[in-house]
Amino acid sequence: MKGYTRYFRNRILWYLLTFVVALVLNFVLPRLMPGNPVASIAAGVTESLTDQKAAAEMLEEYTRAFGLDKSLPEQFLVFIGNLFKGDLGVSFRRYPTPVVQILKESVPWTIALQLPAILTGWMLGNLLGAIAAYRRGVFDRAIFPAFLFVGAFPSFGLAIILLFVFGIMLRVLPTSGGYGFDLIPGFNLQFIASAVRHYQLPFWSIVLNTIGGQAIGMRSMSIYELNADYVKYSRFLGIRDRRIVGYVFRNAMLPQVTGLALSLGTMVGGALVAETIFSYPGIGSTILSSIKAQDYPMISGATLFITVGVLLANLVIEILYGFIDPRIKANQQE
Amino acid sequence: MKHRLRTTFQNTNFLVGFSILIILLLLTFVAPLFMQGSPLDMVGTLFNKPGNYVNRMGVIDAPKYPMSIEVDSIRLGAAVSNEEAAQMLEWFEKSELDIEWKMLNPAKDHAEIVELFLANYDDSIRLPGTSAYRKGFTRLYLKVQNLLSADGYVVQVEDSSSDSGYREVTKIQSRDFTNVKDVPARRFFLLGTDNFGRDVFHELVSAIGNSLMVGLIAGSIATTIGLLIGLTSGYVGGWVDNLLTFVTNMFTVIPSFVILILLSYSISSSSRSIVVVAFVIGLTAWPWTARSVRSQTLTLKNRDHVNISRLSGFGTVRIIVTDILPYVLSYVVMAYILQISSAILAEAQLSMLGLGPSTTTHATLGLMLSWSMQFQAPLSGAWWAFIPVVLSIALISFSMNLMNTGLDQVFNPTLR
Amino acid sequence: MADYILEVNDLKTRYVTRFRENVYAVDGVSFKLKEGETLGIAGESGCGKSTLAMSLMGYYFPPLHYTSGSIIIDGREITGEDPEVLRRTALGTEIAYIPQAAMNALNPTRKIIKYINDVLVAHNIRLNKKELREMAEERLRLVNLPVEVLDRYPVELSGGMKQRTVIAISSLLSPKILIADEPSSALDVSSQKLVIKMLLDLIDKGLVKSMIFITHELPLLYNVTKKIAVMYAGQFVELGPAHESVFEPLHPYAKGLMGSIIVPSEGIRDEHLVAIPGTPPNLKAPPQHCRFAARCKFRQPLCDSVVVPERFASDGRLFRCLLPEAVLRELKYEDQIKSKQEDAEVELDVNIIPFAGDNGDGDSGKESGG
Repeated sequence: MKGYTRYFRNRILWYLLTFVVALVLNFVLPRLMPGNPVASIAAGVTESLTDQKAAAEMLEEYTRAFGLDKSLPEQFLVFIGNLFKGDLGVSFRRYPTPVVQILKESVPWTIALQLPAILTGWMLGNLLGAIAAYRRGVFDRAIFPAFLFVGAFPSFGLAIILLFVFGIMLRVLPTSGGYGFDLIPGFNLQFIASAVRHYQLPFWSIVLNTIGGQAIGMRSMSIYELNADYVKYSRFLGIRDRRIVGYVFRNAMLPQVTGLALSLGTMVGGALVAETIFSYPGIGSTILSSIKAQDYPMISGATLFITVGVLLANLVIEILYGFIDPRIKANQQE
Repeated sequence: MKHRLRTTFQNTNFLVGFSILIILLLLTFVAPLFMQGSPLDMVGTLFNKPGNYVNRMGVIDAPKYPMSIEVDSIRLGAAVSNEEAAQMLEWFEKSELDIEWKMLNPAKDHAEIVELFLANYDDSIRLPGTSAYRKGFTRLYLKVQNLLSADGYVVQVEDSSSDSGYREVTKIQSRDFTNVKDVPARRFFLLGTDNFGRDVFHELVSAIGNSLMVGLIAGSIATTIGLLIGLTSGYVGGWVDNLLTFVTNMFTVIPSFVILILLSYSISSSSRSIVVVAFVIGLTAWPWTARSVRSQTLTLKNRDHVNISRLSGFGTVRIIVTDILPYVLSYVVMAYILQISSAILAEAQLSMLGLGPSTTTHATLGLMLSWSMQFQAPLSGAWWAFIPVVLSIALISFSMNLMNTGLDQVFNPTLR
Repeated sequence: MADYILEVNDLKTRYVTRFRENVYAVDGVSFKLKEGETLGIAGESGCGKSTLAMSLMGYYFPPLHYTSGSIIIDGREITGEDPEVLRRTALGTEIAYIPQAAMNALNPTRKIIKYINDVLVAHNIRLNKKELREMAEERLRLVNLPVEVLDRYPVELSGGMKQRTVIAISSLLSPKILIADEPSSALDVSSQKLVIKMLLDLIDKGLVKSMIFITHELPLLYNVTKKIAVMYAGQFVELGPAHESVFEPLHPYAKGLMGSIIVPSEGIRDEHLVAIPGTPPNLKAPPQHCRFAARCKFRQPLCDSVVVPERFASDGRLFRCLLPEAVLRELKYEDQIKSKQEDAEVELDVNIIPFAGDNGDGDSGKESGG
């Protein structure tokens, strides 16, 4: 077990460090840009408000939250301090709702949508890719370009097409929102049914895109593994084909797990934009409206959350990976 | 090298991908030669559907050719929708008049239904139901009332010398025809117009060009940075490698999408031109290339020819350029192609979030998509405003992926 | 009990490439092996010896395909048998295989004991945990491996340990014939000897009845195996008792191959591949006449126009050359056949056999070059 402990400790430390770098980036990027938007935005937003009192309040709140009257290093300390208190400032767009409050409303929607969608797409894609590699022939020749083509559609592109076909032409599924606009979220059958119906289109647009990309990767990994020496040897030992396919599938999956970790950021990005197509009440839509409303605290908070989410997901994947690939343990023992 | 190039072009995947890309590129160069004005001229109105538009005054002025072609039923048929035809059938049923209507299909027999409706409709028959319901039938009757008139239309201009104040210019009979070519003012919208009344096809063609440019700039930047970092990291080794690998891995895991948002947001929208956006994308996309170049360099580092060069006392830079670079080139080309296509996607993503290039003179695929979504094109049924754009993005990406697969097969052949 | 433990008659197999081209890697190989005998097969890389090793298993999967010929193990003809029956009752039990790259031959993500169990289960042998462990431990001891190996993953083993593990697994079901494809190529010289000794021990202990070694390291083999075959372009060009085949080769190619390795002490061991100029023919379209003719120092005009059959010398050795046995026995690889005039005077003592136009694949017609 010593090898594992060391591996996990290393990985956790590494991710903590990465998190710190991400924090610094989140803080520094908008502040170091010419014109320093963080300083100038508040002025812009308050100007457009007619209620002078509210504008003054907002400006004060903004100065407080971001420590604008202080130097850059001090601002960073304020930023970190606030972060640990769970204070990400107050949204301009929905003044005076705290950013954390808005995140709390939208995050569950995003997680409930993206986690199952990406996992489903990943699993289906791997399965189809492995089948294509194993069956070869017509199945492979027909399905490979199909994967490639579907995978070439960004998930928001698929979202638009699905929305148009199923939501508008065929009118079988709702086109916008996370649930019927006439319903109040609650644990009742009507609400759940509505939420499930609203879930379909965003879900499948993410799944389809993920399937395409993953199947291609899995197909070539499986072909590589099928040509591996251990496959030939196992065959000559008389081991059943089905068992050998099991070996190949498992071994080809391993790089796909790492691949998932590496491409998670890109996938989440695409999926967030797909959310906006359906005005799904998740973080994607929140970012879109925050950008439109120049709601800097909200943008900063949301991007920070996405970063943390992706880093955490990566960490979980890497830890799981440590358990399923014996090579990790072996490497640590040297 | 020549042999490689030949086998590359014999690869079906590569060839198909390359052809698609070349066709798209040709389109962006050739199509504008046949277009009038700038791609962003607002020529039409909100979401005009695809087709050939001719000037209505021009039709009146153009020579007329009376023809013996049956047009009444065509006009009747085109005048009402399937729903309206069904509404008429409903009236027949409810009015309980003695009408043979049961055989008629509301999806096909428009002309017969309208004819029957015009002949039998009677405003004095009171149907059961609300008054709004009854008024619907009255409105329908008024709409189709004129259709059967064989007298045609009279076109008049104002004329104060005339008693009525109008002077007749011409009569338009139902069987009058005009050759479309005789109408001087026409415009063909292959893909209709967008929310601002701009020619979608013209816009699309220039947007493909601009998006490819974004991809090329961003891809070149990302590839250059990634190549430099990967080569240095892989060849120099030691703490330099550790540091660079650490940074590279970090930026692979921190979602580049987030950095893109923060960077783009920080650049004031007035200075966010297409080139600037491309730069920003390029600056965030290099880690992938760096990783793959580094691992390739590592495998090459201890090859004999590199060792010989090292023993001969050649400098690091020289060894990298002459002994390593040529061997990683195939991977770099493949990574470059992927960078281009992912940069095009990144631009589209940013634009969808309102952080794309802010320009009123140039369109990109992302901007077009963003505009059509903001103006609810899907709800208006204006498929031409977004489906071709989505397809173009997918086609570019598809063609590049195909080329990449082809290159992969050429460079890493496996017997299967 | 049949006369021979292994009988191979005119075996022909081919690869089918992605582009649907045939590569005739094994093209008419015949030999017989008695119980307890060992055969060494030598040749340059690409001559088809590894393919022959796989073809002898009788179990074909893409890209390798069976064309014709027969393999008879202890009286049982395995060619033509249902692959599923063959898998269950012959692979591993009648005939087993040790792959060339033993380092990568084990599934990296499966513990050795589980893998051993997979092999047993595939042959309907179901043992409980204790029996399985006992049996596996016994086999590991045979190859001098510590029993801890059973609970390791292949990645946790050293190269030599993996090699021995593979040997233990291949001989697990006591196959009658064991085919070892370059069993020692990745090891240093002393480990090589150890591995070969370990393999021969398997015969002594009665676990394996007969063995075939495939190698290009002939010096390791000639005093180990009873017979040696020299393979060139998918065919045996020489097959005879080990000592004679090495020290008095008949076929010009065998002379070239052996000439350079006889005296390893002179340190020219690795030169034998360059010693014979030229490259082997393209096996996608092998020449119909003598396959070695293009590189042969002793080539005669006829060599380019007739099919060379397998011929047998007075002592029963097989050789595939048109030159008379007597001439071949006298010739040294260093010799020159003096001049062009004299060339013609060397009498070829076989009847001229015209082009058969049959290469086992229906690929008739004239030579399409190589």
